Amino acid sequence: MSNKVVFDNEQISDVVKEQQYVHEVYQAIAPHFSQTRYKPWPLVELFLKELDIGSLGADIGCGNGKYLDVNKNVFTIGSDRSSKLIDICASREFESIVCDALNLPFRNECFDFIISIAVIHHFTTPERRIAAIEELFRIVKPGSLVLIYVWALEQDARRKFDKKHQDVIVPWVVPASKNDPDRKEEAIYQRYYHLFKKGELDNLILNTGKAQIIKTDYDKDNWYVVARKKSCNK
Amino acid sequence: MRLVTHNMLQCHVRGCNVNNYPLQLSEVEIEIQETEFNSQFLRSMIRKLEWSALINSAREIGITTLPEVLPDDFDEDFLRNIHRVLLETHIQQGKMTCPNCNHVYLVRDGIPNMLLNESET
Ligand SMILES: [Zn+2]
Repeated sequence: MSNKVVFDNEQISDVVKEQQYVHEVYQAIAPHFSQTRYKPWPLVELFLKELDIGSLGADIGCGNGKYLDVNKNVFTIGSDRSSKLIDICASREFESIVCDALNLPFRNECFDFIISIAVIHHFTTPERRIAAIEELFRIVKPGSLVLIYVWALEQDARRKFDKKHQDVIVPWVVPASKNDPDRKEEAIYQRYYHLFKKGELDNLILNTGKAQIIKTDYDKDNWYVVARKKSCNK
Repeated sequence: MRLVTHNMLQCHVRGCNVNNYPLQLSEVEIEIQETEFNSQFLRSMIRKLEWSALINSAREIGITTLPEVLPDDFDEDFLRNIHRVLLETHIQQGKMTCPNCNHVYLVRDGIPNMLLNESET
């Protein structure tokens, strides 16, 4: 199946693009999105389970919070731009806040680990993707780990993409539901994605000068990197 | 929002970089929700906090049971109290004011909203 649309609406600013094609979409689809996102990805789960007991961390772009209770021996604060998704986290009694990943309200170097799963690909320019990555390495302690997942251009399983276009629109379909008065008819929402080429995420991380890459691989239609924040002056 | 989370939060209005921590708590409504006690987790987690900020913030919400200085040894009573203060005490409603620029962030239904307007970022 290849019914994806190239994103070429250059008339609107990057900020408005993210508002219309990311923020507003997640606000609208939050309940349905959450119903389909209950199972932790095994490698993310493993990363969280291997953390030292008493670790304090953050999940930036936590969605419905499916990673916030994976390991009872660590404390994870979830954050998301979508207040509707954070409402869902709160209803599950997960610790979470509403904020923008480009401007995190956390102290410098206060966390023992950070995860950001399927989030950075929603930023519409290289500058904004870099700024989001810089924020992750600002709030994590030196020597600590950051795990980042982003959608891969090369994915070949559930979806296929034209390799010539990295900036695309991917529809999210909320089917009609007899039991839900808000869902009398099927609704289609358009989400913006930047599809990462192999090595692209690694380069953005290395170019910050703040981290070394511990592991980099392909998993579940995504590229992922585990990076360690350097200690100062190294 | 628990005090652990509050202990990590700072003001992030553009240009507000000094004396922007901790955010001052006021007009708070507290709710206690019991949760499992895990002493090994607590022993390690306590050391990650800014203790002086924590005792200040605790005082702002009416908790005066924390010692001025973090003890070297954690006994059971101390850990039980910390468990109550850090993990079972939820700020359901309230205001968080930046000590530097006076920006106010709201906590509603237990959720801090840290979004800023375009002009503040
Ligand atoms: Zn401020």
